[in-house]
Amino acid sequence: MDLLEYQAKELFNEMGIPVLPSQRIDHPKDLKGLKIPYPVVLKSQVYTGGRGKAGGIRFVANTIDAVAAAQAIFNLPIVGQYPEVLLAEAKYESDRELYLAIAISQSTRRPVLLGSQVGGIDLESVIQQMQQVVVDQEFSLFYARRLALKMGLTGQLIESVSQLLEKMYRLFVQNDLDLVEINPLAVSPAGELMALDGKIIVNDAALGRHADLAALQPKTIGHQNRVTIAASSGLHLLELEGVIATLCSGMGLALATLDLVTAAGGKVANLLNVGDESQFNALASSLPERVAQGLELMLQGRGIKAVLINVLTNTISCRQIATVVANYVERRAYGHSVPPMVVRLVGKELEQAREILAAVDVPLVQSLDEAIAQVVLLSQSRT
Amino acid sequence: MNFTTDSKVLIQGITEPIGATYAPLMQAYGTQIVAGISPGYGGEKHQGIPVFDMVEQALFQVGMVDTTVIFVPPYSVLDAALEAIAAGIRQIILMTEGVPPLDMVRLIRKAESTETLVVGPNSAGVIVPGEILLGTHPTDFYMPGSVGLISRSGTLTHEVALELTRAGFGQSIAVGVGGDRVVGSSFQQWLQILEEDDKTEVIVLLGGVGGDGEEVAARYIAEAIDKPVIAYIAGRNAPKEFLGYTEAIAGFQLSNTRIGDADSKIAAFIQAQVPVADRPSQIPALVKQALQTSAIA
Repeated sequence: MDLLEYQAKELFNEMGIPVLPSQRIDHPKDLKGLKIPYPVVLKSQVYTGGRGKAGGIRFVANTIDAVAAAQAIFNLPIVGQYPEVLLAEAKYESDRELYLAIAISQSTRRPVLLGSQVGGIDLESVIQQMQQVVVDQEFSLFYARRLALKMGLTGQLIESVSQLLEKMYRLFVQNDLDLVEINPLAVSPAGELMALDGKIIVNDAALGRHADLAALQPKTIGHQNRVTIAASSGLHLLELEGVIATLCSGMGLALATLDLVTAAGGKVANLLNVGDESQFNALASSLPERVAQGLELMLQGRGIKAVLINVLTNTISCRQIATVVANYVERRAYGHSVPPMVVRLVGKELEQAREILAAVDVPLVQSLDEAIAQVVLLSQSRT
Repeated sequence: MNFTTDSKVLIQGITEPIGATYAPLMQAYGTQIVAGISPGYGGEKHQGIPVFDMVEQALFQVGMVDTTVIFVPPYSVLDAALEAIAAGIRQIILMTEGVPPLDMVRLIRKAESTETLVVGPNSAGVIVPGEILLGTHPTDFYMPGSVGLISRSGTLTHEVALELTRAGFGQSIAVGVGGDRVVGSSFQQWLQILEEDDKTEVIVLLGGVGGDGEEVAARYIAEAIDKPVIAYIAGRNAPKEFLGYTEAIAGFQLSNTRIGDADSKIAAFIQAQVPVADRPSQIPALVKQALQTSAIA
């Protein structure tokens, strides 16, 4: 889960990482009670990058300007996102700007400290100068000094940047973060450090043990969309721009199926992973229910011309999955038309499954390649 | 590595629904499950398997075990694995999905210092067809043979095993290294294990998008693996959100190039002269080719 800049900075502040005096603005009229002296910076609080270039960050010198700028920013979408909150922050004169981050490297399976002499919005130059240090055992300050030296820092900055990294590391570990990033980290002419912008990504799997962070999750506004409904049922729905609704058991199988449909000239409308039987958070016996929920969700999508169901089972029989599909087709057939389906099942009680599906005119295919060929053909033959 | 019919196996979390479902299936396949662990259930029996409150109590009764298969909730996985290591167990298989990455970092440090093999989390486990099942693989899909399978994804492993079995190519061992972001054993570790395994003649590696494990594995194959390897990468058409921001930053940093998408992984395997299958059904043909070529050489 991503945090907004002001939320990240609240965590920085609690950890003793220097941030500028700032104030959260929920409405342009809040600016009348602004406690920070002008000039200030108003920043759109959205989850995407590129705010500066989009016009979501503005300098203002007085209340009249500030209210006008705030109104503009509240009405400015950035990659389709409107801010619910702005951050008003003091202006800062920096001498130079650095980049610092901590993430987990998947190949070394350790936290890595990342640092670049060049901070700021030009990611290409940040990356070209990027240095890294793997924290292979318990963290100690020398890892941070090692990074500072690799970055080419000298003098007082070695110690001050290392100490800041130690605080970032503590924040990272205490809160189960996937990423903590300060970019830019300003260095004043006097050598003082200031986190001008910050990004924090909290690990979703760990949210359950951080109630304070979980509470920062964005509240869904209005009615839920299919993706959020899918997520709350423990299903994973990916919306694409095609015509074949696709349901699979397991993410690897789902991605392979997406590739196969695409390679065969088909276009996937949505890819739903209902999970397999060995998910800890869902009972094995609930797989048929997940398939039933999945069918309902998938077929709410618009413009669907064909449906592919690709499920491998172990303890659950194919008969149970086929029954769910047949029930769905029968129920839907009264009101609406059901797009043609291809069901690919492998597991136990396949013959019973075939009979159940035949009764509702749905073919059961065992070979994945054949199922893909059939569903692509169906999706193209309907105009 | 010791995964044979003689291996003695412990199940931690045997009273959890998923542990209770799979323990008897493993037993039916011939796996010697000597005890289960579930705090508060000590003294009971589960499907005939004696249950203990702690690992050390079980080992006192049944003697040393080779492997523990762990089915406890995500936030208890680190503790259960540390308990097993403290009791002297050196092969650990983590089935549970969604273990926080920093818990895995702690566990991996401990595992490395004690030379413990950790498989998973979010893994289908290990199967040596015809001998032992340590996980959730559907055994009907597998048969004994000489193809070693290493994979990040459970159902994709089953899919490929099924293709191989139907084409008459049995498997020496299949391992799900795990689908979570941080997993206990790497592709390289398993490539090395299969390189040394007498029964394995050809290795099939099933990758996905995100992370840089496949790229690192490709370089490792070129340097250190003599047996033929075939790769398949799922997710060529996966949208970019499957590659996290942190991967993008760290990936750029590691090699100054894009890392984590299917194209970069496929390019890495091609550079290492590893054939990459376009689709699961193509894998048996590539296996056949590899076996013929290595027979001539």
